[in-house]
Amino acid sequence: MSDKVILSVEHLKTYFDVTPGMFSKKKIVKAVDDVSFDVYEGETFGLVGESGCGKSSLGRTLVKIYEPVEGKITFDGSDISKLKGKELAGFRKEMQMIFQDPYASLDPRMTVGEIVKEPMDIHNLYATEEEKRDKVVELIKTVGLKPDHIRRYPHEFSGGQRQRIGIARTLALNPKFIVCDEPISALDVSIQAQIINLLEKIQRERGISYLFIAHDLSMVKHISDRIGVMYMGHMVECGSSDEVYRNPHHPYTKALLSAIPIPDPDVAKKRTRIMLQGEIPSPINPPVCCPFCTRCQYATDRCRKEMPQMKQVENSQVACFLYE
Amino acid sequence: MNEEKNPVSAETETIDPAMFEPLDDSEKNAEFIAVESRTFMRDAWNSFKKNKLALVSLFFLIFMILMAIFVPIISPFTYDGQDMSIANQNPTWTHPFGTDKFGRDILVRVMYGARISLSVGFAAAGICMVIGIIYGGIAGYVGGRLDMIMMRVVDILYAVPNLLYTILIMLVFGSNMFSVLLGVCISSWIGMARLVRTQVMSLKEQEFSLAALVLGASKQRILFKHLIVNSIGPIIVSLTMMVPSAIFRESFLGFVGIGISAPMSSWGTLANEARNMIYTYPIQLVWPVGAICLTMLALNFLGDGLGEALDPKKR
Repeated sequence: MSDKVILSVEHLKTYFDVTPGMFSKKKIVKAVDDVSFDVYEGETFGLVGESGCGKSSLGRTLVKIYEPVEGKITFDGSDISKLKGKELAGFRKEMQMIFQDPYASLDPRMTVGEIVKEPMDIHNLYATEEEKRDKVVELIKTVGLKPDHIRRYPHEFSGGQRQRIGIARTLALNPKFIVCDEPISALDVSIQAQIINLLEKIQRERGISYLFIAHDLSMVKHISDRIGVMYMGHMVECGSSDEVYRNPHHPYTKALLSAIPIPDPDVAKKRTRIMLQGEIPSPINPPVCCPFCTRCQYATDRCRKEMPQMKQVENSQVACFLYE
Repeated sequence: MNEEKNPVSAETETIDPAMFEPLDDSEKNAEFIAVESRTFMRDAWNSFKKNKLALVSLFFLIFMILMAIFVPIISPFTYDGQDMSIANQNPTWTHPFGTDKFGRDILVRVMYGARISLSVGFAAAGICMVIGIIYGGIAGYVGGRLDMIMMRVVDILYAVPNLLYTILIMLVFGSNMFSVLLGVCISSWIGMARLVRTQVMSLKEQEFSLAALVLGASKQRILFKHLIVNSIGPIIVSLTMMVPSAIFRESFLGFVGIGISAPMSSWGTLANEARNMIYTYPIQLVWPVGAICLTMLALNFLGDGLGEALDPKKR
């Protein structure tokens, strides 16, 4: 991990138009709303939050599956938020994505060899077919599969093996940055550890930065150097992994961390879980206020009228009026 | 912990750890896959083979196609060779299906009709498939406003009765193979376009298509190498259903007298000729009608069988 910022996100907004017909009132889902953070070279930035809070939308906006409405994404010194055509294709080599569902992320009609070779074909990486084949075999070995697997089809593999095929495909382009969109949530616990260890090994060897999206908080703590907590499309807290876990500031982060299961029942009994009351507001056309004010036990009138901004509190950045 | 209530822990102490030897990494073979590698099409063929009705239909169609190719070549009679001395014969060994009112061999005429009917059926289905895949693929993949416009165009085409188009085309281009094909195709591709569109729309949200996008694949590559290839099952099924409907349309046009013109024959025109003789020589109607019915039935069974074989959920 170095001090060089590889990815800088400033005031990123990704909105989806969900207006049902041509003549209805406009309905906008603000999936990602005014999110800013930096990722350093070689580090893992964990992104946590409950389902539907915009983690995946943020990840997909970064790899340009979705177009941001506003904001700036700076990758390796150049602004990528408005890239088109050839320049976009060049950028694709640098930033890749590992998907959540290993059963859906591999084309069922292609062999493993074809799947891993496809990125090389798209970007014309190697001159001859032999070179490509050698590279495919090397990648397959890197992720712990056997060279004779390249003639098989994805449905013949287990979930963990498929996820490793997905990782091999990603590595074919030698990216500097990988967005991992819940890469382990669809796998068994024992296989999860296997994949996490593989990802860590690859990071050590190649110095790749990860944006690691997950809702398994203990896994995120294990793999991440820094963590961002998202709620309703906003980032509410951001800091180093140890700092966020040991000393959470935002009421939502506190509630989230108190929900981590503890394997020791004696310790678990002593802990007080923060039970959140109230409703999650609809993400369609949300009012301008603190997104958490409907469920926050400390909410004041100010929280219901104004949007809190990210402020430095001790060693973390927190978006909450409690710390002003 | 209570030792007496736990005989397992008492027993384990007697086992010497030296008895165990760690397995060498090369012997673990954890990534081994025992199942034989099979492609999608092999799997489909295996389950297709189990459907006897579909298998029989497939053989019947192959037999029909071979007959259509070879009978007019081998037979000493031609489809237009008239011999009034043997007019309206019942089936004999020289003329297995009998002869018509001009003394032409009906077997040769039916098989010649099979050439026309089957080639119209398959050609029309092929043309419709290509147009439908491209049109539906683009509409489904691009989506949004373009999709809206393209689908409204299709709706308008669909709203006009088919027969109207066909008769107008026949008036302009005359009664030949080309205008029959055009008339059959002009509205049949719509069903294929709609099918491909819905397939592409649901597949493009799948992660493998997003993965291809992130890898930098072009739109054409994603559409044709990933999305269309993955919807090939429903496309083939709809294709086998499209062939009989094209054959039927062609026969219908022939029957009402605006299809292929004499002395060439299709099943429809043969049925139309035989209809005039229905009170005197009803047997003449049996052959073309039987050919149409059996072929349609076989194609429908084949389509059903393929539908089951190609749908992974029904296996």
